[in-house]
Amino acid sequence: MLERLIEEAPLFFNYHNLVFIGQAMARTLGMTVIGCSVGFVLGLSIAIIRQSASRVLLPLRIVVIIYVEFFRRIPFLVVLFIVLFVIEPMMPGTSLFGIATVSVCLLSTAFLSEIMRAGLESVPKAQIEAALALNFNALQTLTMVVLPQSWRVILPPAAAFVVMFIKDTSLASQLGVIELTFAGKMLVNRGFSPVLGFGAILVCYFALSYPLSRFAAYLEKRLATS
Amino acid sequence: MNYTFQFSEVLDELPYLLGGAGVTLQIAFVAFWGGAIIGLIGALAKVYGGKASKRIASSYVTILTNTPALVQIFLLYYALPDLGVLLDPLTAVMIGLVLNSGAYLTEILRAGVISVRLSEIEAATTLGMSRLQIVRYVILPHIAKTIYAPLSNFFVWLVLGSSLAALFGVEELTGRAINISTANLRSIETFTVVAGIYILLTVIASTSLAMLGRWMFRVKVRVF
Repeated sequence: MLERLIEEAPLFFNYHNLVFIGQAMARTLGMTVIGCSVGFVLGLSIAIIRQSASRVLLPLRIVVIIYVEFFRRIPFLVVLFIVLFVIEPMMPGTSLFGIATVSVCLLSTAFLSEIMRAGLESVPKAQIEAALALNFNALQTLTMVVLPQSWRVILPPAAAFVVMFIKDTSLASQLGVIELTFAGKMLVNRGFSPVLGFGAILVCYFALSYPLSRFAAYLEKRLATS
Repeated sequence: MNYTFQFSEVLDELPYLLGGAGVTLQIAFVAFWGGAIIGLIGALAKVYGGKASKRIASSYVTILTNTPALVQIFLLYYALPDLGVLLDPLTAVMIGLVLNSGAYLTEILRAGVISVRLSEIEAATTLGMSRLQIVRYVILPHIAKTIYAPLSNFFVWLVLGSSLAALFGVEELTGRAINISTANLRSIETFTVVAGIYILLTVIASTSLAMLGRWMFRVKVRVF
């Protein structure tokens, strides 16, 4: 097997293949970045909605809870299939990358909102009541009292989630989005040894994920509640 | 948009799908307990091991947790035949998931191993507790409090994660859903029903695990 690898290595690492893998890596990264940015914004909104006690928001709160529980309790693969089969007939021109990105956003919103909720809940109720007594309005309470304190609880698990998330995007290969995993499959189908093809892909994922997981570990140490 | 939903064709296949849910749970169980054995060895090596075993354990964890399980199993499934080892899909998925969950469980169990402090055991010995009592009243409550919640979350995560077995042709829940939907062409309905089954599975799993934790270890675990 080793001879085969050595024989194939120069063929495998040619310019064309490297560009191909690079583009695939950019797609993986793109899905992760878009998914997590959308997830952060929407997840924060959902967490805030779930925290609020107002009666007017009650129906919205129920919808949001159902949404979060739904997407946290079904596998990403099933989410991908459902989104594919719903979007495809409604908007026939949508690219596969678009469909994968939508499902990625749906998932990350649900998971990040749970992380944010834990963060918001970590701020003692008495402080919110104190802010109320000082005549802060809801927005002021949020931006000046709750958020500054909840970041240190939110950030470490959020960073760990992003690491998980990079790996989850590998399932999008099943739709035919040419991200890293699918690129690996294509290279192997072109006749390269699986060890070389998938090995290179594993190294790429590692290169994306390792710095981030180190960063997550650093955050966890640094921001540990003192 | 004139689409009429027809769930009847899918609901006819419900026993078949529920059988798939059984396979899903089996995969999750094997992955969990196999991973727990590896995880225990890894955690002990990381905390009490020598320099070499510490290094081996931590590089195992780093490599496995920073790469997707899917690609790991691809590598197992397609590369091992080169070495003359032919795995059937289910075995390949199981081995891959066991190795993968072993890495995560190493980290979870390590936290549990650390949480027991030697001084507490010494204090218990001074109080005249027997070895069994020390395990029952000092060591176990500590470990349970630190690791029970992450462990039960991880099991639920494995139930969901085992769906990637479908990509190798294993007929678990997702795999059977793909089979059905290619036959009856009712894809949305099929996957909605399957999503419902997954929700049911994970809700049952996390509620019963939470109840078990409360009853056996007095650990409070959140279900929702």
